[in-house]
Amino acid sequence: MNTMIKVARYHLVMPGMFLGLPWATLAGVFAANVARGGDHFRGGLAVFFGMFFITGVQRVGGWLPFGLALGATRRSFYAGTALLGVSMSLVSGLVIAGLQAIERATGGWGLSITFFRVPYLLNGPWYATWLTSFVGLSALFVYGMWYGIVNRRWGMLGLLAFIAVQALVALAVAFAYTRSSGGPLLLRPADGHPASLSALELTGVIAALTVVFLVGGQAAIRRVTV
Amino acid sequence: MPEMAGLDEGGPLFAQIAERLAGEIADGGLAEGARVPSTNELAAFYRINPATAAKGIKVLADDGLLEKRRGIGMFVATGARQRLLARRRAEFTERYVEPLLTEATRLGINSDELIALIKDTSSERGGVPV
Amino acid sequence: MTPAISATGLTREYYDQVALDDVNLAIGARTITGLLGRNGAGKTTLLRILAGQEFPSSGSVQVFGSAPAENQDVLRRLVLVREDQAYPDFQGYPNFKVSHALRAASFCYPRWDAGLASSLLGDFGLRAGKAVKSLSRGQRSSLGITIGLAARAEVTLFDEPYAGLDAVARQIFYDRLLAEYADFPRTVLLSTHLIDEAAGLFENVVVIDRGRVVLDTTADGLRGTVTTVSGPVLAVNSFTEGRPVWERRGLGSQASVVMVGQVSGEDRERARSLGLDLTPLSLQQLVVRASAGPAGAGSLTGRTNA
Repeated sequence: MNTMIKVARYHLVMPGMFLGLPWATLAGVFAANVARGGDHFRGGLAVFFGMFFITGVQRVGGWLPFGLALGATRRSFYAGTALLGVSMSLVSGLVIAGLQAIERATGGWGLSITFFRVPYLLNGPWYATWLTSFVGLSALFVYGMWYGIVNRRWGMLGLLAFIAVQALVALAVAFAYTRSSGGPLLLRPADGHPASLSALELTGVIAALTVVFLVGGQAAIRRVTV
Repeated sequence: MPEMAGLDEGGPLFAQIAERLAGEIADGGLAEGARVPSTNELAAFYRINPATAAKGIKVLADDGLLEKRRGIGMFVATGARQRLLARRRAEFTERYVEPLLTEATRLGINSDELIALIKDTSSERGGVPV
Repeated sequence: MTPAISATGLTREYYDQVALDDVNLAIGARTITGLLGRNGAGKTTLLRILAGQEFPSSGSVQVFGSAPAENQDVLRRLVLVREDQAYPDFQGYPNFKVSHALRAASFCYPRWDAGLASSLLGDFGLRAGKAVKSLSRGQRSSLGITIGLAARAEVTLFDEPYAGLDAVARQIFYDRLLAEYADFPRTVLLSTHLIDEAAGLFENVVVIDRGRVVLDTTADGLRGTVTTVSGPVLAVNSFTEGRPVWERRGLGSQASVVMVGQVSGEDRERARSLGLDLTPLSLQQLVVRASAGPAGAGSLTGRTNA
């Protein structure tokens, strides 16, 4: 536990970058959204989520070498970094839920903007928004970490192979699912369609994937050298 | 070795340290009862490993030329200078006087002639009065 | 007494080469040992394995009696200063500063001394507010050395830490290292190919050549063991008769011979009277010989190649 705290403190020697950058970007995208006007959802929030993925990649790619030099073990570096990312996701999810509530209460910031109300995914009660955001951000962060590790260990070729394998697996799963349920996998709740997932169920799937990412990342980092 | 204040690569450094300190004692630069530089001081001055300096000091201490006073440091033992000078004389005798006598005997020069020879040569050189 | 660092049958192979080949070592606690050898000899690989940053292919290493890899108890008492240390200073984080690096180090090393760190920054003329990305090679080396010394780690490993540092700055490094070692003794392993500069620091030297240990002895034990005798040919031959010789060179009536064996006081006198010049081989020259192959190393120590 002690070493995980040390790793977290290491990541936070420049707190602004780690904590502030995604929010600064979000503010920028939001402002752009306001400037453009209109009242339909444009998916601006996705940028924020995307940043968590990028941060995950960078925290391994950029911060691992010096972290190991300072005497962190690979295990503790992984755990500490993941823990930090998950904690950030927890807090960020709450903030998003809060902003969503404000958006609802003010009728879209007085301008009918739907930014924090994402159809299907983040449209329910605040706690559901919090949960889904939390899980989503965590998943992306940990997923990013895995990419960072694969890149470190096996370089560009490894990354390509990594992506290729995942694509194959995804195809196989989609294929199997389609065959077994007799229809295409739908994310949007089409009325009465048996194969669709609710937002909550989707959150569950993403949570399961997060566990896969954690296991994969932990395994991959074991023999990484810098 | 540019930075070692006069030490060279010709032999173990610890031995050179010991020789230098012994030389200082024999020449009177380090008086009896005077404090000898500490291991760390020597190491810093010569820019060498303190363990090496310590070994040099140990050589002299084992020889009884230095004595340790607990908590204060190493000091030149009484009689150290005398012993070193006596040693030098003994070395001189062995290295120069003995061979000289051996050779003189071979050439058939007796001691009185030898002494006269030394005196004459010395005054010719204007060197050390005998 | 358990050595602070030990290696047994340590081997590290890559697809195309063997970096370390059956290395056996024991390094005593609180000593300064020079890790010497040519570029590519395996010094860096050895240090990285000792620091848990690389893994052995076979054999084992121990620091404080246990394997260092992934071992928190060992790693927080150990620091490795690398020539090519990467910091979080790439594209996304242009403002990772020297002060950030030092702060991070202060969390990770229980004996970290912040006062020493700032004093070292001053010695090297390095500003704490400077971004690591904008540091010159020499400044990066200064940063590495600062972290390495201020960590006051019980095992301190340096892998040619002086890239880009001029002779004055290197001397500052040697002096500070000695001072720190005197005040807070620790086990130091310093890999360098600038041997003569640092020769006075070493209590012991380990020479690695092509992945193998070819020499492992005290520095003082090597000094004066090999001497170049030069002068008139006949005098040189007479002086070196019956003594092992490594090399003979001649030009006209002059000759120069590299002779093995300690030179006594009598020898010196004789050489002087014969008009010969005696120059001992420096540590650097001896190491070069040792790296030249089994013959060189064997003659130095009387042992066959390890």
